[in-house]
Amino acid sequence: MDISKLVAQNYAASKTAMAPEGSGGSAFAGVAQDFMSTLRASESTAMSAMTAGADPHALVQALAQTELAVQTAVTVRNKVVEAYQEILRMPV
Amino acid sequence: MTDFSEAMSVAASGMKAQASRLRHVSENIANTDTPGYHRKVVSFEEMVTNGSRSGAVATGPMRLDRTALDRIYDPANPLADDTGHYDGSNVNLLVEIADAREAQRSYEANLKMFDQVRQMSSALLELLRN
Repeated sequence: MDISKLVAQNYAASKTAMAPEGSGGSAFAGVAQDFMSTLRASESTAMSAMTAGADPHALVQALAQTELAVQTAVTVRNKVVEAYQEILRMPV
Repeated sequence: MTDFSEAMSVAASGMKAQASRLRHVSENIANTDTPGYHRKVVSFEEMVTNGSRSGAVATGPMRLDRTALDRIYDPANPLADDTGHYDGSNVNLLVEIADAREAQRSYEANLKMFDQVRQMSSALLELLRN
């Protein structure tokens, strides 16, 4: 019985399935960049609303958009942490 | 920009436009008794950004209502002419109040849209939460 050959084959197959995709990192970087720009825009809008008396509608809109962005980021982070812990708990 | 954030910015532009309209209405009401005052009217137009229509609304240039001014009889007024009349303003309070109420209702509608978009995107994220 050639079990070791079978195991090696299985291992190679799972290794290709587990390999990270090349574009995954850059897509995530784009999302993070978007998040940062939303945060920055709302911060500057809030600042100008407090000091220069900018339009309150713009302030509310920027804050609502930031709220949504933060919510998205937190939810995604929670999911990632959850998945990581799931992997850690995996019996080996 | 996602549809959600775009919808929010369009609703915010609507609120801003209605607020500016309300400002002109209050200017008109404040100047009801100003001699020679023409009431101000604003028009709404679709906003164009980068050469394409964005769907957002903005107030156009302010115009003056050119209808004839009220002739008020008051011989004691220093502005009165030989017949004892002088030019008042052409502001009709009833029209202004109706305009203000319309602006209020429009503002409320935009506010509701804003809140609805916010709630919808929150509910979408709520799906991932647990």
